[in-house]
Amino acid sequence: MSVEVAREATWPRARPRRRLPGWLWAAPVYGFLLLFVVYPLIRLLAEAVTDEGGRFTVNYLAQFAGDPFYRKALVNSLWVAGGTVVGCLALGLPAAFLLVRYDFPGRELWSYLTVLPIVMPPLVGIMGLVFVLGRAGTVNVLLMDYFGLPRPVNFLYGWHGVLLAMVLHYFPLVTLNVVDALTKVDASLEEAAEAMGSRGLRRVRDITLPLLTPGLVSGATLVFILSFADFATPLVVGMQDLLAAQAYLNIVQFVDRRLFRMGLVVGALMSLMAVGFLVIARRAVAMREYAVVSYRAVERRPLQGAWRLVAPALFATVLGLAFLPHLGLLLAAFGKAWSLTPFPTRFTLEHFDQVLHLTPTYVVNSLRWGAVAVALILVLGVSIGWMLARTSLPGRELVDSVVTLVLALPGTAVGIAYLRAFHAPLAGITLTRSWFVMPLVLAVRRMPYTVRATFASLLTVHQAMEEAAASVGASSLRTFFDVSLPLIWRGVVAGALFSLLFALQEAAATILLVLPGWETITVGIFTFYTSGTFGQAAALGVVLVTLSAAILYAIYRLTGARLGGLFGSGGA
Amino acid sequence: MRVRLEGVVKRFGATVALAGVSLDIREGELFTLLGPSGCGKTTTLRILAGFVDPDEGEVYFDDVPVRGVPPAERGVGIVFQNYALWPHMTVFDNVAYGLRLRRLPAAEVRRRVEEVLERVGLLGLEDRTPGQLSGGQQQRVAVARALVLNPRLLLLDEPLSNLDAKVRARLRSEIRRLQQELRITTVYVTHDQEEAMVISDRIAVMRDGRVAQVGTPVELYERPADLFVADFVGTNNLLPGTVAGLRDGWVELATPAGVVRGRAAGPVQPGGRAVLAVRPEALRISDGTPADVAVPGTVALSQYLGSLVRYEVEVEGGRVLLVDVHNPKDHPVLSPGRRTVVSFHPESALVFPEETVP
Repeated sequence: MSVEVAREATWPRARPRRRLPGWLWAAPVYGFLLLFVVYPLIRLLAEAVTDEGGRFTVNYLAQFAGDPFYRKALVNSLWVAGGTVVGCLALGLPAAFLLVRYDFPGRELWSYLTVLPIVMPPLVGIMGLVFVLGRAGTVNVLLMDYFGLPRPVNFLYGWHGVLLAMVLHYFPLVTLNVVDALTKVDASLEEAAEAMGSRGLRRVRDITLPLLTPGLVSGATLVFILSFADFATPLVVGMQDLLAAQAYLNIVQFVDRRLFRMGLVVGALMSLMAVGFLVIARRAVAMREYAVVSYRAVERRPLQGAWRLVAPALFATVLGLAFLPHLGLLLAAFGKAWSLTPFPTRFTLEHFDQVLHLTPTYVVNSLRWGAVAVALILVLGVSIGWMLARTSLPGRELVDSVVTLVLALPGTAVGIAYLRAFHAPLAGITLTRSWFVMPLVLAVRRMPYTVRATFASLLTVHQAMEEAAASVGASSLRTFFDVSLPLIWRGVVAGALFSLLFALQEAAATILLVLPGWETITVGIFTFYTSGTFGQAAALGVVLVTLSAAILYAIYRLTGARLGGLFGSGGA
Repeated sequence: MRVRLEGVVKRFGATVALAGVSLDIREGELFTLLGPSGCGKTTTLRILAGFVDPDEGEVYFDDVPVRGVPPAERGVGIVFQNYALWPHMTVFDNVAYGLRLRRLPAAEVRRRVEEVLERVGLLGLEDRTPGQLSGGQQQRVAVARALVLNPRLLLLDEPLSNLDAKVRARLRSEIRRLQQELRITTVYVTHDQEEAMVISDRIAVMRDGRVAQVGTPVELYERPADLFVADFVGTNNLLPGTVAGLRDGWVELATPAGVVRGRAAGPVQPGGRAVLAVRPEALRISDGTPADVAVPGTVALSQYLGSLVRYEVEVEGGRVLLVDVHNPKDHPVLSPGRRTVVSFHPESALVFPEETVP
């Protein structure tokens, strides 16, 4: 009893307590974003309008605008990105509806498999496709040897190939976003429409699609921006007249200074355009996700009659196509001296021996940079996510915009920006000569996933729960660890794993920044493939895909397969 | 504990949530903040809790200013509108959390948690998680959690709004009983005037960030300070018109329904606009005594409720008056369409200067 009395005697402790000012804690976050996102970007944009002597000039912009080749590249890039979006919507939208609203044999398996194409970065994907559908790939060799075709069929080289590879790789982004939005549509909204006589496709058009618009637009925007910025896929099938490819080619050749400068200009323009696309998309719909406290899901209906077979068949066809690259990759990775035959004649582990045992640098580096990046991402991402969800610090909205901006910036542009911004010593350190630049650029590029995951998880924790803890005496830190963290850690870890997944797959910024000794798996794949050492490139590809699949599986276990929200480009 | 607010002002950006609120809450009373949404009642509660500091003015707990004192050191127990139970903790852990933060010995924690759970009738459910409880049970856990630290002040933010009518009525009485047993100063926020009437010692009716009136339920019902309170607390029939005569505090009001009379309840001017307010139970159907005010009308609807019949009578000018007739056995029930006369004693009608009726 005495304890109780002693404790309660402390009640009238009506003494004001100074809270630490919020900016003190936010300052490092702001500083980081300024130094490693805003500054390099401004630097890149400035380079586009500065000549060798540091004077302002619009010459390079004029050269870009006056050159029919660049104009054609711009138009081509827009067509490729637009075509990819259309293709992804055509595949992803029906797939999402089938998965969420209907039941059919193997639905759960399909819903898991649909996400898998994401584990294969486009660079690896197109490589795998070439092994199967390329000039000397399995299919063409079969056609020529057994069906007497005089010349190989052009499955891949050109527009159609780029579109095929991109759609197969990116359509899950649309599916995931739509699945996420669709599961959040309250059943009563559709029932209300049905009660008034709005049925079938009519109801889908009038009620369901408008409700999905935020998810659809954010998925489509992401696909547009990613396919617009992708240089590896078109290059592998020989398309060079695209903006991304031009930026990359001009930068990596260190011979012609004028071309190098044009690379900077293209990189700067691509950044501006990516930001433009994002702004347009955000204007088009208010992309803020409405916080749904509770909703009743629409009940899943069994598919009837022939549809029960058609649906799985559709999934099998699409996913079969999507898994072709995996097949090609496996054949090339395990095949010994494979050429001129439809399949390898002998199999071997020597490629794996080479990349895992003899020169494990690539894998070790990837894991090392990945680990450092994730540590950085956790500190930064959780801080920013918490700041966006829970505080009203000045500059909050700007931070939100910067995080979304990062998601939109093409990797190529970020790589180029870092090369230009950090090649001179900064506080005694030349960042581009320190290994730290690798995890740093990965952390910056992949941080938005963790920010979004933290933000979204915090939204589900009603603020009153934290206030309740504060009201019984928990400090803010204590509240975070006792109440918030136990409720959000799954989401945060899933976000961090996504960050890791895409950090491992990064094949743009890192390829530009890499110095000897720092090579990652993707850099290895790129160098092996471009130097013709296909077996080892494929073996590294298999390693990367396996790692990615393992991470994806972990995410599934953590989140119970609700991934959609993480992929949107809508910002936190 | 006595709680005083003096000239409290709170702004959120351009909106003024509280425009100078002064209240004096007595030791041990159940004090309700009543008003429509957006009136500032929840902001007032959050200022008392310490989640928000006022921009101007001061809050005193037993004459000690509490500006800047964090919630946990104010000795307040809070029941949140959506309960805010931590879903990852059991009932026991939810209630015990605050005690454990104070590093009380485990045996002491157990004793106090069990004691308070018994008080709210939840003993035996310690190991459930909030998700396994009914709405009413969750509400009790929230109350137990707020009480376990023996607060000096209990704050309840619309604690019953998420419950169905039956459970609400039962919990309402239970909260009142607990409060009486513990004699704990309690501030209760609600937008439900009936709930406020039933549970409170005193009520502050709030509107647009100001206190419209403070009083006991009886005072608010019988002597509303203005038209807003008259309309918000209980049911009132309102007849707007022009002041035709004014004598010794009695007002004659010319309305489309006829000339009516009542006591002046505010500064009405001859020739000015005013509104007469009269409760349904003060109205009678026909047979008025000569001293009464009589208004002719047509029965539009009659609702038989057992203990009373409620009529809606449409009067000249289109207004509809609600008339409650008790002990309907003594009266024949009039059917819709019947012409009739509604009458009332002028003593039971109040005349307010006109303002915009919400």
